[in-house]
Amino acid sequence: MANEKGITFVGVAIFFLLLMFFPDLIIEHYLFISILFIIAILMPSIIRTSRKNMTSREMVMLAVLAAIASVSRIPFASIPSVQPTTFVIIASAIALGPQSGLIIGASAALISNMLLGQGPWTPWQMVSWGMIGFVAGLFAKSFFMKRLTWRLIYGFIVGFLFGWVMNLWILFSGFGELNLETFILLNTSSFYFDLAHALSNVFFLFLFSGVWIKILNRFKEKYGVFGDGG
Amino acid sequence: MPRGFRSFHPFVLMLYYIAVIAGLMINQHPFFLLAAFICLVFVNLILDKGVELNKWKYMILFLSLFVLVLTPIFNQQGNIVLWTVFSREIYLEAIIQGFMIACTLSGILALFTTFSIVITSDKFLYMFSKVFPKWALILMLALRFVPLFRKRLSDIQDVQEMKGVSMKDGKLREKAQNGMLFIQILLTYSLEEAIQTADSMSARGYGLQKRSNYESYAWKLRDSYVLIYIIAFSLLIIIGWQLHESVLMLAPTLESIALEGNSWFYLIGWISLISLPIWTEGKEVMKWSFYQRDL
Repeated sequence: MANEKGITFVGVAIFFLLLMFFPDLIIEHYLFISILFIIAILMPSIIRTSRKNMTSREMVMLAVLAAIASVSRIPFASIPSVQPTTFVIIASAIALGPQSGLIIGASAALISNMLLGQGPWTPWQMVSWGMIGFVAGLFAKSFFMKRLTWRLIYGFIVGFLFGWVMNLWILFSGFGELNLETFILLNTSSFYFDLAHALSNVFFLFLFSGVWIKILNRFKEKYGVFGDGG
Repeated sequence: MPRGFRSFHPFVLMLYYIAVIAGLMINQHPFFLLAAFICLVFVNLILDKGVELNKWKYMILFLSLFVLVLTPIFNQQGNIVLWTVFSREIYLEAIIQGFMIACTLSGILALFTTFSIVITSDKFLYMFSKVFPKWALILMLALRFVPLFRKRLSDIQDVQEMKGVSMKDGKLREKAQNGMLFIQILLTYSLEEAIQTADSMSARGYGLQKRSNYESYAWKLRDSYVLIYIIAFSLLIIIGWQLHESVLMLAPTLESIALEGNSWFYLIGWISLISLPIWTEGKEVMKWSFYQRDL
């Protein structure tokens, strides 16, 4: 515990030192640096989950949820740009906690790309879905995620953010000349896809989040897994 | 036994991909990028006769056109005005910039079409398990569940259709709701069974000792040679980038686009790095045609 907080602290400290002494470097490669920053934040929890002594029940449950999150796309293939993967990740993260949310989100991205073909977007999807799960899990215990309205707002915002992060990989390939204008342009061109994603998140969360969280909590209690909030 | 490029150690192959992606991003010069894209098309052809690349050609074309058209419209930095369209200046610099971004994108996509051919999911999981052993086990379990769940899902769909719950007709709202209902059934069904799987894992002694695993990829001498090859040429590319030999300066003034002197040297180094699969696979192709002739 103390160790990984130390790692995060050192990461943040290095970031600010760089910002103070080499501002040009950061402004020139701000995208690159911010990605490093995200990785530095995520790394400790990934390492922690990797080292943690998980019971086999917990591991298999995580695997089932990750597999369901990526398989759930299949029945929805007939309805364009509606996919419940994000919903499955949010619901299971609220029930099982931030670490589990991170693992389920990142694994779901990795698995669906293993089936559909890896691309330069794989790490971006892993980070975005992992973060969606992590944040949903972090606020699970607070008033924020207990109210349905806030869950719906979270699902809506996250639908757009996911699309924007996915647009970043195109920008990232341009590397040198990045400007806000091209970023906004890309986002307007993908607006309808992002809107469909956000609305389907709201729809699924509205109808099913209560039931899913109940089911998962029931499993937690019945089999005594994820005791300390995962 | 597999031969050629695919038979190298997964870590060496991964290093090749990292080096080429990094190279595509730092060598921002039209000739370097165009040469890289052409090389990568050849790599695709020699690895699987371009089958995989063929699936992606529309995506590559669409993205390239998108960038080629929009960069000159939105990038307003430059000195040389070519035309004025609707009171917006079109700069030569911006057109070159658009061309370079399009080449980088197409190059990265063409590289990734070979990724799934070369680094198959077993190699990927092998590398993953070296870094994150627990997570890799979860992934392996999940990968096994995917075909099982697909089958279960179609069973559930068949049964529910008998009851009149289907995704085939009705309003969008009803379709989506029914689809989610199927997944909810799949969730309870599978979680209940997953506990059994987990208990049988514990019964067989999972978690009592450190997990051992079978090493299916041994490090051979030729892996070391290729490793040295990749590292040497990567260093060359980094030096070329630092000396601005492989970068076209757009600002403050546009450099001459032609390659001169040392730049040719770095271009050859860059091409040698990308075409590593062509050498290694090409040797096998030549051997094959030689044996055929003898017969």
